Amino acid sequence: MIFETVAKILGEYKDVDPSTITADATFASLELDSLDTVEIVMSLEDAFGIEIDMEQPLQTVEDLVKLIEAKKA
Amino acid sequence: MIVTEINRLFGLKYPIFQGGMAWISNGQLAAAVSNAGGLGVISSINEGEEALRREITTCRSLLHNPDFPFAINVMLMSPQAQAAADIAVEMQVPVVITGAGLPTPYMKKWLAAGIKVVPVVPSTGIAKMAARLGACAVIAEGGESGGHVGDLTTMVLTPQVADAVSIPVIAAGGIADGRGVAASLMLGAAGVQCGTCFLTAKECGVHANYKQKIFQAKDIDTIVTGKRLGHPVRSLKNAFSRQFADMEYNTNLSDQEIESFGAGALRRAALEGDVQNGSVMAGQCAAMLHEEKTAQQIIVDMFAQAEHVLACAGKFLTEEESHA
Ligand SMILES: Cc1cc2nc3c(=O)[nH]c(=O)nc-3n(C[C@H](O)[C@H](O)[C@H](O)COP(=O)(O)O)c2cc1C
Repeated sequence: MIFETVAKILGEYKDVDPSTITADATFASLELDSLDTVEIVMSLEDAFGIEIDMEQPLQTVEDLVKLIEAKKA
Repeated sequence: MIVTEINRLFGLKYPIFQGGMAWISNGQLAAAVSNAGGLGVISSINEGEEALRREITTCRSLLHNPDFPFAINVMLMSPQAQAAADIAVEMQVPVVITGAGLPTPYMKKWLAAGIKVVPVVPSTGIAKMAARLGACAVIAEGGESGGHVGDLTTMVLTPQVADAVSIPVIAAGGIADGRGVAASLMLGAAGVQCGTCFLTAKECGVHANYKQKIFQAKDIDTIVTGKRLGHPVRSLKNAFSRQFADMEYNTNLSDQEIESFGAGALRRAALEGDVQNGSVMAGQCAAMLHEEKTAQQIIVDMFAQAEHVLACAGKFLTEEESHA
């Protein structure tokens, strides 16, 4: 469920079909730089009603999903 | 006088920061700026930890008043970031200016030590995150500036950051005279940060050839290289930057090869004075600088002009309609 929402938000941001986004995709492969990543993290915060501290650099979609899972737990 | 939240927040006579400059802004320059009533910033990108400690000590010893604030600049992507972050706490540095990212990993420690943290931000998103982390102000740095640059210009970034956060905003990039200061205030900033103009200060120890190159620069003389590597840099055109640009477009070369061509280039120009084969980082405002002045004179002249242009701004306001 979390992954689906992340994929949906990434899909909207990149204007691509969310079903093409895989968990192991890196932000670099999605052509998202560090500034884009911040924008996406802020959208996800709104979607999940949480605050995400980017303590560690995020590399993949899965990193982001895990971070949200940990916050929601 | 021009007085904003920045004067009050940092205890400054003038709301101006001297931007941290790798290999260049040392304790001597920072002290000169702080003594003149601005905020001097010591770079932590230099010979290493001991050098940073030494420069902080030098700065303190040169300050006319021990209460004058100064800062160190921590470049977050640098391998020296952690050490510099610790030294800030250990030596009770009053202010830290961060560059290149979000200072998330260090923020709690700095705030607990009573350090004021001011991140340089290239976008509204980073500005909001920085404010949430506890930054007391942010520096909106436009791509006109020297050194590492973002895409947005000061003209469009400053008002958007001012709208995005409730903490004070400092404008940076392209400001080298009083008109730039006045314009920054009109764009919603409460202060300015200048790098290139302080490069030419008498107290700045950068090599004389480097200063000369800036005084000779024309408006069209800067170039941005390194986009391909993900960290674009603005510098003056010379043999080095032209070759760097050529190499970037050469798809036969690996990023690694280009990185290593660029390594040590700022140091070569700034310390050794090789302004042909080194990187002479400078902003677009280089062309506006013509003579060496003391840090004090730079600031006094800049703010005298800013006051003048702000005082005259009323001339644009009239009750009459123009039919011209
Ligand atoms: C030679 C040079 C080196 C710089 N090095 C750094 C640095 O190490 N860290 C940093 O945060 N900013 C660095 N900057 C940016 C300045 O701190 C400042 O924000 C910028 O110069 C402002 O724009 P201006 O050059 O148009 O005044 C550097 C700028 C120059 C010109």
